[in-house]
Amino acid sequence: MEKEFKGKIWKFGDDIDTDTIIPGKRGTIPTIEEMKKYAFELLKPEFGSTVQPGDILVAGTNFGCGSSREQAATVLSHNGVRCIIAKSFARIFFRNAFNSGILLIQCDGVQEACEGGDIITVEVGKCVRVNGKEFPIGSVPENLLAIVEHGGLIEDTKMRLATGVQKSKIRELDQVQRRKSGYTMVEKLLKKNAGVEHVVPGDIVITRPDMFMIHDIYSPYLYDTLKQMGAETIDDPDKVTIVFDHCMPTAVAKNDSAHYDAGIALSKKYGIKKLHIGEGICHSIMHEEGYAKPGQIATATDSHTTTYGGAGNFCSGIGTAEMAAALITGELWFKVPEAIKIVLNGHLPDGVLSKDVILKILGDIRADGGQYKSLEFTGPAAKEMSMMARFTVANMALEAGAKCGLFETDEKTAEYYGMPLEEIDWVKIDEDAKYEKVLTYDVSELEPQLSCPQGVDNVHSIDEVKGTKIDEVYIGSCTNGSLEDMRIAAEIMKGKKIPDDLRVIVVPATNKVFKDAIAAGYIKTFIEAGCVISHPCCGLCCGMPYGLMYDDERILSTANRNFIGRQGTKKTLSYLSSPAVAAATALTGYVTDPRDL
Amino acid sequence: MRKRMIEELLGAAAGEAVTVSPDLVLITNGFSHGVTEFASKVAEPEKVLVMYDHNVPSGSPEDAKVFGEILRFAKRYGTRFLQAKGTALQYLYDEEIKPGQIVVTGSRHSSVFGAKGALGIGISNTELARVLENGKYHVIVPETLGIAVTGKIPEGVGIVDAALGFLEQHPALSGKAVEFIGGSLTEHEKAVLCHMACDTGAYTAFWAEDGKTEEMLDLSKAVSMVRKPCTEAADQMKAEFAALSVLDGEMIHAGQIGGCNGGTIVDMRKAAACMEGKTLKLGFRLTVCPATSKDYLKALEEGLITRFIDYGAQISAAGDHSVVPQGAGAMGPKETLITTGLYTFAGCMGCSDAKVYTASVETIIRASFADC
Repeated sequence: MEKEFKGKIWKFGDDIDTDTIIPGKRGTIPTIEEMKKYAFELLKPEFGSTVQPGDILVAGTNFGCGSSREQAATVLSHNGVRCIIAKSFARIFFRNAFNSGILLIQCDGVQEACEGGDIITVEVGKCVRVNGKEFPIGSVPENLLAIVEHGGLIEDTKMRLATGVQKSKIRELDQVQRRKSGYTMVEKLLKKNAGVEHVVPGDIVITRPDMFMIHDIYSPYLYDTLKQMGAETIDDPDKVTIVFDHCMPTAVAKNDSAHYDAGIALSKKYGIKKLHIGEGICHSIMHEEGYAKPGQIATATDSHTTTYGGAGNFCSGIGTAEMAAALITGELWFKVPEAIKIVLNGHLPDGVLSKDVILKILGDIRADGGQYKSLEFTGPAAKEMSMMARFTVANMALEAGAKCGLFETDEKTAEYYGMPLEEIDWVKIDEDAKYEKVLTYDVSELEPQLSCPQGVDNVHSIDEVKGTKIDEVYIGSCTNGSLEDMRIAAEIMKGKKIPDDLRVIVVPATNKVFKDAIAAGYIKTFIEAGCVISHPCCGLCCGMPYGLMYDDERILSTANRNFIGRQGTKKTLSYLSSPAVAAATALTGYVTDPRDL
Repeated sequence: MRKRMIEELLGAAAGEAVTVSPDLVLITNGFSHGVTEFASKVAEPEKVLVMYDHNVPSGSPEDAKVFGEILRFAKRYGTRFLQAKGTALQYLYDEEIKPGQIVVTGSRHSSVFGAKGALGIGISNTELARVLENGKYHVIVPETLGIAVTGKIPEGVGIVDAALGFLEQHPALSGKAVEFIGGSLTEHEKAVLCHMACDTGAYTAFWAEDGKTEEMLDLSKAVSMVRKPCTEAADQMKAEFAALSVLDGEMIHAGQIGGCNGGTIVDMRKAAACMEGKTLKLGFRLTVCPATSKDYLKALEEGLITRFIDYGAQISAAGDHSVVPQGAGAMGPKETLITTGLYTFAGCMGCSDAKVYTASVETIIRASFADC
């Protein structure tokens, strides 16, 4: 790609969302060529008819926020936009834009020095110049520039395949280098894998993830994209795990069998042996099987991939096209995120769990409070948390928009993975690391928390919700479906009966959890109390038919999302809580504080 | 010689019209829930049981709506309401049914109660509404067909196969009461024969120690069989039967043990024994649905659920999973399922072009083997 180029400016403000870029109602237009005319139709109706190839967008903060709609990036690239300069970008848009061939440049200052119609000069990796002023910009790795130059990820991957994939010469940092102080955990994890001695937020690094996970929701699309790219082999099948959990047991008749078949086809064609069919939820399997290890990098086609951060693994979700390209090349780029340190002081009181901690944080920082950031947990209460409790917190960090949610490694981490502590204890927070901000909580004072209808960040303390009539309780999911969660719920329900008119569904996260819960007598306790047990799977958490509810019915679940319509109709009211609150509620049919039992 | 069971229980000879007071009226979300709209009162609420037992947990918001409807009905009229107990018929069979009782339901498979000497009758919603409103049931006492049961089922063949064979031999039993008589049957075998006996149109079925017989059922001649798919639910009783060989060369995508039939502890023990030392075939989905919560608990205790999990099976919630338009075990376009469930009509287990065959536990487990 040219090292220097010029273009005419289209100027935008802050928070330009994906609906502003291309309205949702235009999103179903069958071809991008037809759709692209409607780019910015509400804000700048002239854009679609007058934009010229090579034009450059200059915007404020959080460009591309809102949905994960890939078309927001593709309509711009099809309109000839090759470069966007903004104070900051929304996380998903950032990836989508590069992957559709647009160069994104983060720069704060140029916005005040230019107007629409001005000509701006970009010196890639160095600076931008406009109206006689110059502003420095960060560097962009060659591989990423190549994606832009080749017109996007699919084309780029095809070309790399045609010329024989050249692996970047990445050498991981050694034990001494990775222990160098002054870095946030996410910086340490990324630079170790990328073999870069120094990084700052905003840098882009090329990593070679240690594990890729694909689940059945995307298996058909992934298989098609790999075919489209012409991939006969992938980089390293042993670094790939396929899990059938969203569509297995097959339950949505017209769709699920295709996902099942595609997963098997992927496994057969590319020699992927880590195949888990109907054995439980992918994220739980990833740590249970030791696939996502402390100090390493994992990625998956799912947003709750952040889970393994509970063990100090950098893990974040990516799209299908990216996964296809990454499977072929073995490489994946990440922008080094800013980090927020969350200090958890005190000790969790009885009846208050790690779920309550993360719900409280989500309520405070809101659904976008962690946008593209690394949430890094420390403090005595974080250290006291079990591995499962940490996974719960890391899992839901995503609900604040976070890139990842990381815990420091310690002897619990080492024991869970059967690894020597000295191999992983560099994954810790340095006192001299630079955090964007530090949030401090005293969890000793914390009450059980609930996400109320309809938003994960609509969080209320149990005193405000207590006594609300509930029609169904769901205990499960990658957030709270562990053996520990089963134990907490079973201890509350032991020897008790649930009301006849309340439906209670328990879904262990994995087959191992299921078997251990059988051996420990928890499943017996649940059935005797009047619960229904479903096979380990994502189930109702992702809106699958395992207890879907009707209008005006209320469900309380231990899952991670209560978006409108997710657990039933758009009028179903959905609450999220800890397994202790869920089990206490199961005994009464009304939102119940486990400490009151 | 004793009277025919049906005549004894209804207190009149075949051909006579009688009015009886049922001991129990059953309403479930799977069959007869529509009756809650027709019935304007309930004469004897203490004799009525409302149960949520089909496709549990709810496979769609509409299923949840039905839960609300039947729950409100039960509350309004002060009837009993149960859920999370498993299939209503098996639950009642195990827990409540006593010889001599008359049970009115919306399912022809209520004939299972005949294995205990009780009368199970499946009737339409309109008629069921009248029974609810005045506590009376009117019927012309049916003729009886006595079947002498002999022999022992050969190794590898199941009681479901024998029942399918019986139905194939009797494609039009319309309105008759069937009595299976004698034989060295286990309790489970008696129950399965009675459960399936009305699937070509019989009125009800019984098992009895002795009695007048018109025909014979030689179990030693039983062979592995299937009931074939049919087009519509209304045609279910006309669905054809065939030897298992009809499936030779056909790709079978999934198998299901349980549903309204085949998920008892005895069936699960059999399934576990069959899969001993075997490996699940890649690409075959096996689902095990315990019939009742009690069966589930027993299977937990005996280590069967753990064995099924290790084999790679999916364990469904206790309950009736024989009609699953959407929910665990639903089949995709053009897929083939073999199940112990007794429905094979298009769309009963998912896509309307998925093919569903009824088969025995033995056949289903064998079909799941990697080396089959």
